[in-house]
Amino acid sequence: MVKWLGVAGLMFSTLTASPLVLSDPVRINGGEFEPPVLLDKERLSIEINSFMLDATPVTNQLFLDFVKSHPKWQRDNIAALFHDGNYLKHWPQNNAYPDGQADHPVTYVSWFAAREYCAAKGGRLPSLNEWEYASVQYRQQQNISDDDYARNLFAWYSQPKSDEQRVNVNATELSHMYDRVNEWVEDYQLLLTNGDDVDLLSGSCGDGARFLSSFTKANYATFFRYQSRSDYAPQSSTSTMGFRCAYDISSDTIASNGDQL
Amino acid sequence: MKSLSLSVISASILAAAASVSAPIAFADTELKHDSEYVIDGKVYGLPEAKVYREDYSGPAVVGDYLTQVPNLAKLDYEGNKTHNVRMDVFSQKVEVAPGVSYSAWTFGGSVPGPVLHVREGDRVIFKMKNRSDEEVTITKPVKNGSPFLQQVQANTYQNNQPVVNPMPHSMDFHSGTVAAEDKWRTISPGETIEFEWIANYAGTYMYHCGTSSVLMHTAMGQYGAVVVSPKDGYPTDADKEYVLVQSEHYLEEVGDGEFIYNHDAALNRQPSHVTFNGHVGALSDSPLRADEGDRVRLHVLNAGPSGTSSFHVIGAIFDRVWYEGDPRNEWYGMQTVLLGASNSATIDFIVPEEGIYKLVDHEFADAELGAAGALIAGPRKDK
Repeated sequence: MVKWLGVAGLMFSTLTASPLVLSDPVRINGGEFEPPVLLDKERLSIEINSFMLDATPVTNQLFLDFVKSHPKWQRDNIAALFHDGNYLKHWPQNNAYPDGQADHPVTYVSWFAAREYCAAKGGRLPSLNEWEYASVQYRQQQNISDDDYARNLFAWYSQPKSDEQRVNVNATELSHMYDRVNEWVEDYQLLLTNGDDVDLLSGSCGDGARFLSSFTKANYATFFRYQSRSDYAPQSSTSTMGFRCAYDISSDTIASNGDQL
Repeated sequence: MKSLSLSVISASILAAAASVSAPIAFADTELKHDSEYVIDGKVYGLPEAKVYREDYSGPAVVGDYLTQVPNLAKLDYEGNKTHNVRMDVFSQKVEVAPGVSYSAWTFGGSVPGPVLHVREGDRVIFKMKNRSDEEVTITKPVKNGSPFLQQVQANTYQNNQPVVNPMPHSMDFHSGTVAAEDKWRTISPGETIEFEWIANYAGTYMYHCGTSSVLMHTAMGQYGAVVVSPKDGYPTDADKEYVLVQSEHYLEEVGDGEFIYNHDAALNRQPSHVTFNGHVGALSDSPLRADEGDRVRLHVLNAGPSGTSSFHVIGAIFDRVWYEGDPRNEWYGMQTVLLGASNSATIDFIVPEEGIYKLVDHEFADAELGAAGALIAGPRKDK
């Protein structure tokens, strides 16, 4: 499995021909996904197409490479509209991250900046459903029980600062989905405040059960991730928000790789 | 629109009538915004909340009538007043039992947060910055801080230390009557919210964070008490007055002395600790004080988030109980008051003799987990 993912990732990175991609994105095979949080009560099951996803959150080094080649996304140059004043605030200089943190996930990045980075890589932010679908596969790969997943997720939220923030930039399988940063997704505001179709109670009075396909600890934990992130502004740049990118798989890639969608 | 303009007209008539009948005592209850109106002497229709970014790193708690539990600020003014109150929201490592500390989410840096004391009819202009992504220290002297900060510095029983844990938060004052999706809305780290509310009803009210998961946000420490004293006072005069907030904590050890919130335990209502004023020793290390023959008044709030409190004082009978602190809800001669989550009672009792009076949640499982304290009574003073 791991090896196969690596092959797919290699093919992809040669196709994009980006010198900045250090680790290969991994292929997430599409399939049926039963969302733990029912954003649409009529859709108990969703079809997810195959896609590629960065194995780890984007690191300081990668983001530095990006801002060097895209000066308007440097801290001194970023448009006020795209951040909350704290963009890359932990970097000592406009073009330097803190010593020894090359392989730490980049934080203090707004949703706008994360999107721009991914677009520059020929990708995009994963959708909420894609990220959660990958998360379920990650739990299976890592053999994380539902109870441990829930417990660890709430533990991370109650104390997100860990001494260990490094990620393995050469990872060949999904890594650090829960234990480093909270990650932006494309449609992160879906549940609460986006558009006209906002739920009346918005889950804000502790009525999570209405939204869950079944009231399990794991689903409740996932619901908490949806909701707490949904309360951020797209300009929010905090010490715990990072991201990873997703990439569409072109039909050429699929044909040459011989895989099914 | 039609009904709105009608109510504005009737509001101004009512306001005019009110100012004739009580021109001095409650002059400040005048309507301030065009949107406001009056029903039964209570003001409604407050303007929309403002959310903005400000460059602020001053004292996290500002206002003359904010105190550390169990203290209650003295209302040293006549009639009504407009209070400018700031209570920032940020993370703080707090101790709830010896050797048991966790990274709490707090209003003002303590669990429970500061006590706000106002009078029925007062207006509160409230401001809160979400500073959860920065370190905020409350144990060092600052200029223009509220009495709360001085009291924490004098009695740092939670050993409060700054930590960073960015989260969206909100503020829900049970003492306010407003459209919750406006005033109690969630703000991101770095944002400030500002809104007004009128203390329309006398009583002791909970405030808390209403951001999902509200169970987690409250269990993490985001609650406190507002005491709204009746405009005509209570029927009795107390010699001593204190505030007591009961709450549950759901913690598990993850390292040497390091504790974190246990959501599973919170859902299953299995607290690791139940405290008065946020620490198992808060009211035994620093007991309440009174003298024999005193009439002691306690404003007791059960913040929950999920449990009840059967509040009892060993050796005393509650001479009067005003449920929720409203003087119209008067009971006599009670041994125990049952408080659901976010219920409160204002309780008078006479201290019968010099001695030690234990305060307990008579649900003894809770008392065993920490819900106990003491009032120490000195000898009777000449009256």
